[in-house]
This record gives sequence, C-alpha cells and structure tokens, in this order.
Amino acid sequence: MIPVVVLTGFLGSGKTTLLGRLLRHPDFARTAVIINEFGEVGLDHDLVEASEESFVELQTGCLCCAVRGDLALTLANLLRRRDAGTVHPFERIAIETSGLADPAPILHTLMSDAHLARRLALAAVVATVDTVNGLATLERYPQSVKQVALADRLILTKTDLAQGQCADLAARLAALNPAAKREQAAFGEVDPARLFDTGHPASLRARDLSAWLGLDGRGDAPAAGHHAGISCFAILRNEPIKAIALTLFLEALAEHCGADLLRLKGIVNIAENPDHPAVIHGVQHVFHPPVWLDRWPSRDRRSRLVCIGRDIQHAWIEALIRAIEAEVAEVEAVGA
Amino acid sequence: MSGELDEAVCALLEHSLRAWRVPGKIHREADGAWLIAAANKRVRIARAPADLPFRWTVADAERRRSATSVTGVLRHVRAALDSSYRSVSLRIAPLPPAP
Repeated sequence: MIPVVVLTGFLGSGKTTLLGRLLRHPDFARTAVIINEFGEVGLDHDLVEASEESFVELQTGCLCCAVRGDLALTLANLLRRRDAGTVHPFERIAIETSGLADPAPILHTLMSDAHLARRLALAAVVATVDTVNGLATLERYPQSVKQVALADRLILTKTDLAQGQCADLAARLAALNPAAKREQAAFGEVDPARLFDTGHPASLRARDLSAWLGLDGRGDAPAAGHHAGISCFAILRNEPIKAIALTLFLEALAEHCGADLLRLKGIVNIAENPDHPAVIHGVQHVFHPPVWLDRWPSRDRRSRLVCIGRDIQHAWIEALIRAIEAEVAEVEAVGA
Repeated sequence: MSGELDEAVCALLEHSLRAWRVPGKIHREADGAWLIAAANKRVRIARAPADLPFRWTVADAERRRSATSVTGVLRHVRAALDSSYRSVSLRIAPLPPAP
C-alpha cells in the first residue's frame, strides 16, 4: 500500500513553501506530488502531476464530483506509469489541494474508489495554518475552518514572523480540532517523517490511541468546542454497544448530517465482541470498515467517539443513540 | 411501548425538531402515539400492530409510512416536515484505513 498525504490549507498559508522544502529533503525522495492548481509552483520534479481543476470552491461538499473523477484518473494514471516503469518507483504520494478547496472530496475519492483503495491508503490530512494571519482567516473564511477541522496534523507556518499571536491561534485550533497534532514550521522546515507518521489504529498504543482520538491522558473527552458553526465533542459509553445499534447510529448520522459530519472517529466496545475493540473512522458519509484490535490498549474499555461537525448538536447525537439503544434493548427483551 | 423507549423517542423527536430548526410541538395522544405539529403539518407516530412486519407507522395528511426502527421513524418524520429533504446514505470504504 502506498501512503497518501493530503496537504491542505488556506491561500497563502504556506503549503507550497512547505512542499517545496519537503521535496528537497532526502527523506522525501520517491514522492509523487499531485497539485490541484497549475502554475502555483514550478516544481522541478519528475513526478509532478497536476489535475485539471485550478480550484474548486466548495461550501457543502456537494460539488465534490467535479474533482473526484479527475483526481481518481490522475491517481490511476500515476499508478499505471509506476507499474510500467515510466516514472520513478515512488513510495508515497502527496496531494496539495488549492487554498480554497474542501479536502473532503479528495478523502472520499481515496476512501471509496475500489481500485485506488487496493493500492493507496490515506496516511494523513495535513493542514497548514499561517501563524500571522491564521486567526483572521479562520474568522473570515469558512473553508479554512473546514480544512483545520478535517486535519490529522496542523502545521503552523511563518512562526518566525509571528509576534504574540500564537497563543490565541493555538487556543482556537485546539477548540476546532483538539485531536490534530500541531507542529511548527519556520521557513517551511518540518520533519518529513512526521507528515506520514499518523499511525495505524491497529498498532497504536493506549496513549497514542487517546491522542488520535483527541482524548486527554485519562481517556476522557476533550472539552467541547464550538466555533464558526464547527463543534467538536465526545460521546462516551460505559456499557458495550450492540453491533446493530452502532450500525443504525452510523446510518442515521450519515443520513441526517451528511456533509456536515466532518469527521467521526472512535474506539467502540461492541457487545458481541467485547475483547476486541473496534476502531471506526468516517469522513462525512463515508466510513472505513471497522478495524478490530487484538486487545484493548488500556484498562479503559469505554466506547469513545469523537465527532467534529458543522451545526451538529451534541444533544441530538446523544438522544439518537439513546433511542436506538432503548429500541434494541426492547426488541431483545421481547425476543427473549 | 416500554418506558425507557417511550422517553427516548420523545426526547429524540424534540431534539430533532431543534436540530432541523423546525419550530413545533409534540403531544402524547391517549393511545400512546406521538403527534407532532410543525411546519403547518401534523405527523402522527404510532406503534404498528403486532401482526405487521414493522414496528412503527408515521402518518401525515397525505400518506402513511412504515418503519422498522426509530431511525426509520426519524427519516419519515423529516421527509414529512420538509419535502425538499434528501437523505444521504452511509457508504463503507472498500478497505480499512492506512497500511
């Protein structure tokens, strides 16, 4: 499987500078790069590919079809050329989105295209955030909020130019996406290995799994945050969840929240398989199949789901899962 | 309807109206059914008779729908209150994440 990093970030936030630096780094050799804007950067690299769209302006994710087909074709061609030996045998792919793009359609393409999914694996969504202008950008541009909310890792750029703005920006980012790891990049310098090192849920240790979920050291929920309509909250369950209840819950979430469900990830104690926790991960209405862990990574066997969404009410989510669990319990009681 | 499910369904309907930004009221009828008055419509949610292969009925002035779970009830209620509502189906990616 070839890992893919999606590099997103608002206009002028330093994506291209970062990518330019990374491509000159020896550890980042054998990387194929797909940029979403022609001419944005003159990358002197044998493996540079560019998809057709110069940019896609998305508000709800519903325009994703415009970019999906083109990106899937670009990726498929890249893989074909790699197999044919007409490009260097790259070991990873970086996709740079345009500054105005919604990264969700790209994630959908990587997750749901059966042909690509056999060869490619989404390693991480990395978002650059301009330390100098980032706070104002987040206030003014909802696209930037979504880019941050979807990220696994946030790269704070231009830290060499920042004068005192860092604390406010850090607080804002933590509220928007407490699960994302944050790195600083002065002059575009960041360790390339960290971009691709997000960890597979199946191999995560307890502390890492908590970090992946954005939980604190005790495995408790992050403080609920709500900014620009984007909220982040956790759903905790002490009792195991029936598989059918989880299925109905995820279906209802996808059905009613759709594009507003930016990300849902978690570890779930499934009643029918309590010794093997299930790790679930979804972006909008597309979910990976659950990853079953060999064992619980700690003594904490609670189900913990972290939801990042736009205009999604925590109370509605709790009411939904409570009603589903109550109905499943009633059906089982009647059938017993 | 069990007490726990009874309370949970009522809470879900109330939170759903709020989440959908549909002002309305929910009343319990004598036979245990719920009546939602919202968006200039009245939607009645009742338990299906035991001899039918579904658990719920959701009826408004125009039609009666059946549902096998509370999530189906929710879908029908939303569709009854908002004719422009189009649900999104869950999709499962072909493979688990990451190598």
